[in-house]
Amino acid sequence: MRARRAEGPSGAAGPVPGPVPGPVPGPAPALVPGPAPALVPVPVAAPARAATASARAALRPVGAVRPLVALVAAALLLVGCGGRATTHHKPGTSHQEATGSSGTLLAARDEDGHRLRELPAADAPTVRVEARPDSEGGWNVHLTVERFRFTPESTGGAALPGRGHARLLVDGRETARLYGPWGYVPPGAHTLTVRLHADDHTVWAVAGAPVQATVRLGATPATAAPSSAPAASASAPPSTAPTDPGRTVTLAITGTTVQPPPSRIELKKGERLTLRITGDRADTVHVHGYDRELPLSPGTPATLTLTVDRTGLFEVETHESGLVLTQLVVR
Amino acid sequence: MTAVAPAHAAAPAHAEPLWLPLAHGVGSQRDLPLSPFYAYAGAFTALLVSFLALGLLWSSSRFRGDLSGRPLPAALQRLADAPATRTALRLLGVAAAVLFLFHLLLGPDDPDRNPAPGALYVLLWVGLVPASLLLGPVWRLLNPLRALHALRPPRNPRPLPAALGIRPAAAGLLLFTWLELVAPDNTSTTTLLTALAVHIAVQLLGAARYGDRWFAHADPFEAYSSLLARLSPLGRRADGRLVLRSPFHGLDSTPHTPGLVATVCVLLGSTAYDGLSDNPRWITTLQTSSLGPVPTATLGLLAAVALAASCYGLCAGALRLMNPALTTPLTSFAHSLLPIALGYLVAHYFSLLVTEGPRTVILAGGTDNAPSPAPPLGPGGLATLQVVAIVTGHVLGVVAAHDRSVRLFPPARAVAGQLPLFALMIAYTLGGIGLLIA
Repeated sequence: MRARRAEGPSGAAGPVPGPVPGPVPGPAPALVPGPAPALVPVPVAAPARAATASARAALRPVGAVRPLVALVAAALLLVGCGGRATTHHKPGTSHQEATGSSGTLLAARDEDGHRLRELPAADAPTVRVEARPDSEGGWNVHLTVERFRFTPESTGGAALPGRGHARLLVDGRETARLYGPWGYVPPGAHTLTVRLHADDHTVWAVAGAPVQATVRLGATPATAAPSSAPAASASAPPSTAPTDPGRTVTLAITGTTVQPPPSRIELKKGERLTLRITGDRADTVHVHGYDRELPLSPGTPATLTLTVDRTGLFEVETHESGLVLTQLVVR
Repeated sequence: MTAVAPAHAAAPAHAEPLWLPLAHGVGSQRDLPLSPFYAYAGAFTALLVSFLALGLLWSSSRFRGDLSGRPLPAALQRLADAPATRTALRLLGVAAAVLFLFHLLLGPDDPDRNPAPGALYVLLWVGLVPASLLLGPVWRLLNPLRALHALRPPRNPRPLPAALGIRPAAAGLLLFTWLELVAPDNTSTTTLLTALAVHIAVQLLGAARYGDRWFAHADPFEAYSSLLARLSPLGRRADGRLVLRSPFHGLDSTPHTPGLVATVCVLLGSTAYDGLSDNPRWITTLQTSSLGPVPTATLGLLAAVALAASCYGLCAGALRLMNPALTTPLTSFAHSLLPIALGYLVAHYFSLLVTEGPRTVILAGGTDNAPSPAPPLGPGGLATLQVVAIVTGHVLGVVAAHDRSVRLFPPARAVAGQLPLFALMIAYTLGGIGLLIA
């Protein structure tokens, strides 16, 4: 039940445009380092990075060229940054750059009214989602994105390709945003859709469809299995609610004797199990493999509920007295 | 993790903690019991192969031991034998040992956060199996105690008593498996340091008296690695050439040293005990035994080794009865049990190696409290692997024993003469499969 994957509208493998600042529109200056550094105006769409790099290169010759440097700086100020000031923007978030090649804004909107932003499939981000049941209920969600970076720091800024955030839609309703690859969906959910948004909240889209992935969060936890182990006093209501305690196994410890004696509880992967344990002394019960612990106080029953989501043979043991109480056989 | 504070507050009658050991020393997960389908399939295959082998296999011995093999290119041999390679391997072993000691002395006393227990019980003990199968007797080359010994070799070492053989190594293996499977608290740094100190003292004192030949006879890991290396396709011919050869030839060249039977029986018995220690009934016996769990478990381990040994003894006696000419019935066929022991080892330790091995490496790399990775095989795949390992070991053992018996017995009695061996191997194999179901 782990690894349920779903593919979003993924593009064919192509060159991965990293989160580089978009090309600079408008006339931008560039310096050509040479014996006589000269100002060469470069036409539209010269990479801004090249401009700064060559500016750095040009700043190296000191002394004789100092007046020239001043001239260059002045020119940069005048030409490159004329009009709109960009210094208070974080790199890559200036309004000016944002209007570059960040796809085409479509008229279509998603359910929540966000407009779609179309990119060619080769440049568009992709997302895959994987949900694993959490041992306390609910789901741990993991996104695998390509050509995409989570940029919580620039949310609200302009749309740049390969940047933005993800939104979780549980059963069609938006419940949370993700600013990183991991998230959590509380129990009760049936389907989860993860959609990639740009920094300006528009939805990244390919061929008119949002870049998203959907995964069914199956109702598999707590499928009541027949009780085969003699130790189990099974009481499994056939409900699929994640709060369902599943199989219940009652154990009592007296001295070094466990009643019923250690046996194997056969469980299906994904099933829920409740251990109800009464000890005659203070101790801690440890479920190996799941690393769940349960403090015991003398004479008082303590309960522990877990979802068995790993296959194998696991021992339930007390820490202080080192007794094996029972074994879980998860298939 | 959660509240453990008032743990000692009310401890009435049973004040002393029992500290039942975790089998394997490390790891929180064990393999699922086999489903009957796999068990029956395995048992049936083993029986079928045995009887086919009786009738169909060759009638004159084919294995040539260490006379056979296709030599590797001379350049490769020069590289392997170069003093620089040997020194580099020695230094590698020393570096690993220093790292191990460093973690043991300074690391936290918690197997979840300290890589040292995993390094011993998984990387060394289990990792030596694939390493020796692929590359030959690697621990001989890496053994840091040899490096330590080389610093001050004795001037005139005494000759080793001929009757000693690898008996000290068999005893060492039994002690190590006791530490791994029975000893209370066997992952605590104190226990490990004590065991390490004893091991180092015994090895270095022995080597100071008998020279570095002592290690080959007394170091349990060297003996273990050298025996498993008999099944490696890479071997050394009698003339010293590095050769590629069929594992059968390597197996056939296993020297008949005293203690070989004991070593193989320790391997078989301890792995069988490992399987038994999973069984809920055995756990109940341990926990309710009036002797206390550790003495009971020790007796259980000794009984498992004794059972493996007495089965073999019975079989050797029967062989001798049927063939009065056979003077050494015990050692003549001991090599054919090695593949069976290897099959047991693979079946019991594969998932430990692939889950706890990487975790140990991650821990050693500095990640605190690393999770163990998910096992690479599903329950069905793992069950198949276990049964295939045991049955393959059985088949290799049957073939090796057959070849040896057609060499030793007169042709008229060759088929009948090996019947006790076949019965023994079938018993071991069915027992091994039975322990995986239990």
